[in-house]
Amino acid sequence: MLTEIVRFAWAALTGHRLRTSLCVLGVAVGIAAVVMLTALGEGARQYVIGQFTSIGSNLLSILPGKTETTGAIPHMGGVANDLTLQDFLALQREIRAAQLIVPISMATETVSHGERSRQVAVIGSTPDFLKARELRVALGDTLPPGDVERGSAVVVLGKTIAQELFPGQQPVGQVVRVGEWRMRVIGVLEEIGTQLAVQMDEVVLVPVATGLRMFNRSSLFRILIKVRSSRDLDATCVEAIRILTERHDEEDVTCITQQAVVSTFSSILQTFTLVLVAIAGISLSVAGIGVMNVMLVTVSERTQEIGLLRALGATRGHILWVFLVESVLLAGLGGLVGLMTGLGAVKLLVWVYPAVPAQAPWWAVGSAFLLSVVLGGLFGVLPARRAAQLDPMAALQRR
Amino acid sequence: MMTLRDLLVFSGGAVLAHRVRSALSLLGIAIGVGAVILLTSIGEGTRYYILSQFTQFGTNLLAINPGKIKTFGVPGVLGGTTHKLTLEDAEVVKRISGVEAVVPMAMGMGRVEAEGLGRSINIFGVTSDMPVVWRFAVAQGSFLPAEDVHRAVPVVVLGPKVKRELFGDRNPLGQVVRIVGYRFRVVGVMEVKGQVLGFDLDDSVYIPVANAMKMFNLDEVMEIDVAYVSAQVVDRVVEEIRRLLTDRHRGTEDFTITTQTAMLEVLDDVMRVVTLSAAGIAGISLIVGAIGILTMMWISVGERYSEIGLLRAIGARPRQIFLIFLFESMILAMLGGGLGVALGVTGSLLLTMVLPGLPVYIDEQYLLISLLVATGTGLLSGVAPARRAIRIDPVEALHAE
Amino acid sequence: MIELQHIAKLYEVGGQPIYALRDTSETIQSGEYVAIVGPSGSGKSTLLNIIGCLLRPSSGAYVLEGQDVSQLDDHALSHVRQHNIGFIFQSFHLLPRLTALGNVALPMVFAGVPSAERQARALDALESVGLADRAQHRPSQLSVGQRQRTVIARAIIMHPKLLLADEPTGNLDTSSGQQVMELLELLNRQGLTLLVVSHDPNVARRAKRVLVLADGQIVKRLTGAEFPVSSMPFSQGKTSEDETSRC
Repeated sequence: MLTEIVRFAWAALTGHRLRTSLCVLGVAVGIAAVVMLTALGEGARQYVIGQFTSIGSNLLSILPGKTETTGAIPHMGGVANDLTLQDFLALQREIRAAQLIVPISMATETVSHGERSRQVAVIGSTPDFLKARELRVALGDTLPPGDVERGSAVVVLGKTIAQELFPGQQPVGQVVRVGEWRMRVIGVLEEIGTQLAVQMDEVVLVPVATGLRMFNRSSLFRILIKVRSSRDLDATCVEAIRILTERHDEEDVTCITQQAVVSTFSSILQTFTLVLVAIAGISLSVAGIGVMNVMLVTVSERTQEIGLLRALGATRGHILWVFLVESVLLAGLGGLVGLMTGLGAVKLLVWVYPAVPAQAPWWAVGSAFLLSVVLGGLFGVLPARRAAQLDPMAALQRR
Repeated sequence: MMTLRDLLVFSGGAVLAHRVRSALSLLGIAIGVGAVILLTSIGEGTRYYILSQFTQFGTNLLAINPGKIKTFGVPGVLGGTTHKLTLEDAEVVKRISGVEAVVPMAMGMGRVEAEGLGRSINIFGVTSDMPVVWRFAVAQGSFLPAEDVHRAVPVVVLGPKVKRELFGDRNPLGQVVRIVGYRFRVVGVMEVKGQVLGFDLDDSVYIPVANAMKMFNLDEVMEIDVAYVSAQVVDRVVEEIRRLLTDRHRGTEDFTITTQTAMLEVLDDVMRVVTLSAAGIAGISLIVGAIGILTMMWISVGERYSEIGLLRAIGARPRQIFLIFLFESMILAMLGGGLGVALGVTGSLLLTMVLPGLPVYIDEQYLLISLLVATGTGLLSGVAPARRAIRIDPVEALHAE
Repeated sequence: MIELQHIAKLYEVGGQPIYALRDTSETIQSGEYVAIVGPSGSGKSTLLNIIGCLLRPSSGAYVLEGQDVSQLDDHALSHVRQHNIGFIFQSFHLLPRLTALGNVALPMVFAGVPSAERQARALDALESVGLADRAQHRPSQLSVGQRQRTVIARAIIMHPKLLLADEPTGNLDTSSGQQVMELLELLNRQGLTLLVVSHDPNVARRAKRVLVLADGQIVKRLTGAEFPVSSMPFSQGKTSEDETSRC
């Protein structure tokens, strides 16, 4: 029975090619917009998550300072109580779950060699920094291991900095000026690109104690802790805060887990995507109204046919299904065309601009199609009911 | 020739003849227009809100930050320059003619305590000029005294929220608070200002900048805010600051000057783009609505085959037939646009009632544009059906039944 | 008034040329009353449509009121129809959404007659067909006879010289058919040229002249009185296929 009804509806749709095409077009435009926006939004989310997970998801950061003000941006400005190298050593001694603990100091300085100079971000840290950030040295050595409180005058250059200061030369063993300091280049980092919006090819690394002295600071920028398993993240945060609170006599640090940051970003982007998709989805309701309108016309055009079908023994239910199926087919067809167009457009976009991280997730594809079918059903109900409620005698006699 | 009024009456009659169909067609356009208006209203509201966040500090304002490198698009987040941005730099800037007031600023976070109660909040190190430059008045008592910026006088002005948290309804003037362990005497309480760019200015305290630098171990200020007398002098003032500070920093320009107007322009542009993008996405529904009108007009031409034949027989020119159908489509779209404007405006107003915090601004300009765009789409979607109508052979049409 | 000189109308059907009308010449004087009869597919509708300026002949010349209209373009033909010809159809062609008054006034809308004048003239025309009291009724509220009288009012509203009636009584009962014919003849007596296409011998007999068509040609020219009373001078055999082949 259902296959008969579908075949019947299909014949009716192909009988009015232009009107069917226009309806399909309307639904397709809406679905294509939804698919494309979802792809862009989801792509952006995946990109951000990828950026974070590329440097490991089991990271947490201890920042100096604490604020109770809600909605404030943390770690801006100075702090009263320093986060010191001694704090770092204490954490290293006491936190068992930690795989790596990395102290970081950071500032902007001028790096120069002969005539060439430029301003760069200088990161003072330990060899573990490279492990935590999954960086490797391309030439020479990494930062010297050993006593963190001893700052030697050595520097590891980012790829771009090395190329700019030493074009066509071997930088390792040469001397550069960092701020007022003369320092020996001991290594060059591999090319990495951007990590978390910081161009890592344009930084220089120095031992953490050297950094603190160079920047004339007593407080670290932050302490990075990498734990073995993400299950340990929250507990480690609590423990680190406890240790530091004991040492400082007050709770004056902030602990941020990488996961918290990721999920915050992720949920912001997800909300953003959903809002955009919802806005685009308005067009689907408009397309649905279009389908309903055309179905109403179809019903009134085929009044005589309905009368005939009733005379031949079709029940009200049959008539209802005939028009409902037709409407669902119409919208479903639009959904299919829209999906193809949307996915095609996304492919084209990625092909033309490979940097754009656009990718339609399968759930979006599935639900977009389902949505079009539901749309057809929803907006088909009224016309189909009107058809089913026609009086067979009056319908037959109508011209 | 047929007058415009005749066209309207005739086409309008045809629109009215199919009430349900016409209503649905124009509803499609109305939803599109309504969505566009709602979104532009929210977008414009947000734009004005953000602009007002900045302009509340006045527009004749510029900021000097250490560092030329921009991290996260903001200069000097990481701090540290080859030559520090100092209080002396601020003093020099203050002497430039056309400069009204200068506030060197250093901030940090720390614990503020009084009588057993305490809060960890933002601590701003500023000078007596801050109320002038930030357009921010004292509600009670006075602001920091005008003294040599290098003198670290232990006085503090509280934000209203800090005052409430620490002192409740009691008078805090003359009382002593401990800020990161140092004793400060309260000389004033600021008026309510609210959150500005993520900083809750009400939940902050204000102390002399020299104190803040000592307290937080800072060897440079984070920002120097400069108020200048009028927009005419801005270029000269910026140049003068650039020249003087570059001189003082031994020939390197290791600081960034941002004028409020330049920042406002960038911000304004960004917000406009965001608003227009959202409106554009909502505009997709307008396209779908136009397709709906196209479909219905196409069907209508087919149904009115014999009517078209008659009109041709009694002497209607092809151009008149064309205009009749074009007008029908346009009337649908215009009514839809009108309904959409009503929907959008009502929606915006309802939204402000339900969510009073949401900034909504209805721009008449956008209303007019949406109405015009709707009418335009109606005209466009009427072209194909109208062309179909004039291609109908009258002889054939008269005999088709 | 009407001069048809070697008029022919040719259609291509599936690549084959088919003559709907071949080498037809006829002159109709101003004020005449002529009936055109013939079986379906004989070409009488084609002839009527050419005379009514709805169709252009494939060859030959058609001079209407001293003007050769056979090669005019669409726009100019519209103008000729508007001012010279009034149409009466078997199936009325009244717009259901307009009142009788609105339907009668319709030709004036396209001619750009000011709306106040339209009202007055349309009401006059309705009065002259005896329907002044039905002015605000819609076609569906009128009897078929009243509908056809409305159509006649519409046909004369632009003061044409020529009335073309295609089966004017085809959808009417005998008495209202009689009424309609009397109305048309009254207009003829007032000076309008009247051309009636009909199957009905009773209608044809009323005309002064009868043109009998067959196979796209005028095969007989009779006076109304000469026309046979009871049956048509041709068989009613093949109707429907020919009816469609006309398009």
